[in-house]
Amino acid sequence: MRWRLYLHLALWSSLFAVFVSISAPIVGPTIRENRIGPIEANHSIDAYLRALTGIEHGSEKLPDIFRRLGKQGPLIIFVRDENSQSEFLGMTIGYVSWPREVRIIKVSTETIERELANIKPDSVSGLLFCSIDPPAWLGKRVRLGSSIILVPITEAAP
Amino acid sequence: MILPGLFAALFLIFVSGLGITLSVFARATRLNLVECACLGWLLGSGAVSLLLWICGTFCSGLVLQAMVAIACLALGIFGWRAKRRANARFALPKPANVAEWILAIIVLFEIAVLLFASFKHTLGWDGLLNWEIKARYAFLNGGTIPVSYYSGEGRAFSHPDYPLGIPFTELWLYLWMGEPNQFWVKIIFPLFYAACAPLLALLVSRLSGKRWLGLLIAALLPFVPAISAIPGGILVGYVDVPLSVFYLAALGYLLCWFKTGDWRFISAFAACDALVPWIKSEGIILWLVLAGLGLGLSFAKHRVAHFFSSIVPGLILICGWRLYLKLVHIWPSSDFARPSFGLLRDNVGRLREIFSIVFAELSEPTHWSIFWLIAGVAVIYLLASRKLEKIALGAAVVVPMVLYSLTYLFSTWPSYTAHMTSSVPRLLLHVIPAGWLAIGLALGRTKDETRTL
Repeated sequence: MRWRLYLHLALWSSLFAVFVSISAPIVGPTIRENRIGPIEANHSIDAYLRALTGIEHGSEKLPDIFRRLGKQGPLIIFVRDENSQSEFLGMTIGYVSWPREVRIIKVSTETIERELANIKPDSVSGLLFCSIDPPAWLGKRVRLGSSIILVPITEAAP
Repeated sequence: MILPGLFAALFLIFVSGLGITLSVFARATRLNLVECACLGWLLGSGAVSLLLWICGTFCSGLVLQAMVAIACLALGIFGWRAKRRANARFALPKPANVAEWILAIIVLFEIAVLLFASFKHTLGWDGLLNWEIKARYAFLNGGTIPVSYYSGEGRAFSHPDYPLGIPFTELWLYLWMGEPNQFWVKIIFPLFYAACAPLLALLVSRLSGKRWLGLLIAALLPFVPAISAIPGGILVGYVDVPLSVFYLAALGYLLCWFKTGDWRFISAFAACDALVPWIKSEGIILWLVLAGLGLGLSFAKHRVAHFFSSIVPGLILICGWRLYLKLVHIWPSSDFARPSFGLLRDNVGRLREIFSIVFAELSEPTHWSIFWLIAGVAVIYLLASRKLEKIALGAAVVVPMVLYSLTYLFSTWPSYTAHMTSSVPRLLLHVIPAGWLAIGLALGRTKDETRTL
């Protein structure tokens, strides 16, 4: 039954050879890409905020801005429906704005007016638009970064 | 203070895990140092995260940190004394020939490369917004997650119902570093890989009787792109690879127990199995699979009572976590509906599409190369062997995939296919090391004389 052993070895050797020959060109470049650092506490969140909004050290700057909103109501974050980049940005804003309460609302250009009409101004601290333009009639816009606009409802006293 | 704090946190994790491992294996005259180190990390991370969760319900801040540190040291001392009482000695199994030396060096080199590479990448989407977020919020609140996080709608995107095994291991590092540091915290994920590869080598060697085969399988493990190159793997801080390591360990020790009848293996199984649902919610499915397989194997061995006692810790942990979520008024998860026969009848038409998506994913070479083809051949080999433990191993690879696929019958996403394409690759990762174990055993034949590996 020596031929069965040879067949067994040939089968597994060829399977492993094909496996490695397909994998190596995928795994190799991923291991080589990027460089180490910067060695910073908010390394990941800052990298995402920089890439999505152009804001440097966003994990420190954005909570500072949200603290100045003063009121205790939730921050309403509008993200574009079925746009993963906008949704991800909304979530990262939710991440850094802790402990402020947030509410993330998915909208499209058609539904944004209706969603805004449902919001009572005295119950929220601000509106934030991620990769979506607020309606023209909404005043007091503050552009925080390339794709993020804040509309404070009431500023706290300095 | 960041680096000394980091090393102190890692040291305490190892001490606690090593203590538990030594108390399990103490009666053996020879303790495999590699095995103790691997289990030391796995059980240590589980113990520390559980201690933080339990102790965090009645204390916080420095008191919490001190209490858990003392518990870690106590576990270490307890294990060390058990080892001394049993007069057990550590042994480092050395490669026996040139081929084994080369393969062992390759395995070590791969661990070093992945450790280095993981610091070159940021935490991924889930790594940051599902897992690290919990560690950060707990750190900012003195070591416990505020109840408002669980019950609020605003951060439901971060799955507050997910268990705390990995987030609280991250929290432990944060408490010792004195800040939530997203750069250094990534060290825990390659450490899970560093525990996985030698453990896989050891289990394949022990069950097949061939050490070179174990080392070969461990050397091939990182060539699965989903493990080392695709989002979801160890470079981006997701919990799927750690979950797969716990599943491998539990499965491997279950098979070792069936083969040898040694109670130490069922104790190691109990410890690893209990932590499977503590890493990710899907771990409950893996826990059920292990419980089912273990029940079958224990029937054949006429040791059902022995086996039942081993699944009690996991059962307590599952019930305890569910109860805790009820007490904190968890915001209901919106990904899946509660299973019912009515819903099953309504959605049964999805089955064809579900399995075609799974099949398309399995044959995606950029994610898996031809891993699933090799695993499929291995499962056929195992089934053809007509040996109960090998059939159980084949089932441990196939059944979780089938059960995972069936969960999408209850998906509440507007498009269940979109739900699948976003999550199936990560779910399949959970059985990769178990799949390699199956491949190793399909390749080799058992020799009893090398059981002491």
